[in-house]
Amino acid sequence: MHEFSLASAIVEQVKEIIEEHKAIRVKKISISAGPYELIIPDLLQDSFKIITDELEKFRESVLELIRKPARITCLECDYNGEPDSEGDEEFAFNFKCPECGSRDTHIDRSYLTIESVDLELPS
Amino acid sequence: MSQEKKISVRETVYKKNDDLAEEIRKNMKNKGKLFFNIMGSIGAGKTLLLENLAVKLSTHYRVFVINGDIATTIDADRIAKHGVKTVQINTGGGCHLNANLIAKELEKINIDDFDIFFTENVGNLICPAAWDVGAQMNIVVVSITEGEYVVKKHPIIFKDAEIAIINKCDLDGLGFDSQVLEEDASKIKSGMKVICTSAKTGQGIDDFIEALGIEIPRDE
Ligand SMILES: Nc1nc2c(ncn2[C@@H]2O[C@H](COP(=O)(O)OP(=O)(O)O)[C@@H](O)[C@H]2O)c(=O)[nH]1
Ligand SMILES: [Mg+2]
Ligand SMILES: [Zn+2]
Repeated sequence: MHEFSLASAIVEQVKEIIEEHKAIRVKKISISAGPYELIIPDLLQDSFKIITDELEKFRESVLELIRKPARITCLECDYNGEPDSEGDEEFAFNFKCPECGSRDTHIDRSYLTIESVDLELPS
Repeated sequence: MSQEKKISVRETVYKKNDDLAEEIRKNMKNKGKLFFNIMGSIGAGKTLLLENLAVKLSTHYRVFVINGDIATTIDADRIAKHGVKTVQINTGGGCHLNANLIAKELEKINIDDFDIFFTENVGNLICPAAWDVGAQMNIVVVSITEGEYVVKKHPIIFKDAEIAIINKCDLDGLGFDSQVLEEDASKIKSGMKVICTSAKTGQGIDDFIEALGIEIPRDE
């Protein structure tokens, strides 16, 4: 299960940030991802809960997932932007160029990114 | 009393993995080694293809194969029969290999004792796509018994691959069709090297080796 590794990676990275800022706990973690990341939000949330269950620094932490739109760069015609709004009638994921119809596109994976964290700090 | 603070991070969760993968890739390149990552579903024929490669390559090259699997050493044992060195990484439920797992295995050996490295990634067409293992080339294997929609359903993993292997072509026409898979794989990426193979009969294995850029000196 892909979401479990991702949730673990998020927690590991946030642990370092907590450490660095000597925070009491993290209240909220905002992450973003595009559609090509193939994330099932519920599975990600469940994994996050399981991993942080016993972790004092993650008590009542909220994981917020911000969806980013798909972005492609066409290798045929250099178009850059969202894929064809008509969708792709053949492939399960849409990375088709709206300008020339090519699927030979570079996809911006909009890799799962930790955008920000809200920390509770000692005063 | 405590205070609250929002920290802007803006870093992908893959950053550590990507950095380490890049380091592995550079190190291998500097040493003149080849490193290939083979991905594909369970049962696509990754292990049997690697057995074929082992037979052909081991007479001229020192080959090291890293097998990723949820459990068991069956695949590594199968490949090791053909005179190459293998190691099995059990991911214990993890659905993909990553750079850290590879780095740990490479630390245990002397890289200079080998010429060509392969990974057989964990059988899966989704998860391995995002986790760079540090290979110089990615290969995706699908087999025609997975049905005619397998590429259409899982196109993303092909975006980072240079070679698409359509395996089990010995069953072509026997209720299975290689042509649509070949066409789909070519549509995802121009310049994709699409090769029909049979790990059972050996069909296409030489083309596969050529696509990997490996030369086999002709026997005298
Ligand atoms: N007919 C046929 N069977 C194959 C071929 N390649 C693999 N197999 C069989 O498919 C099954 C799965 O192969 P394996 O190499 O273990 O797949 P892996 O899970 O991708 O490593 C085994 O029973 C193989 O003998 C092929 O090209 N043709
Ligand atoms: Mg196998
Ligand atoms: Zn275009």
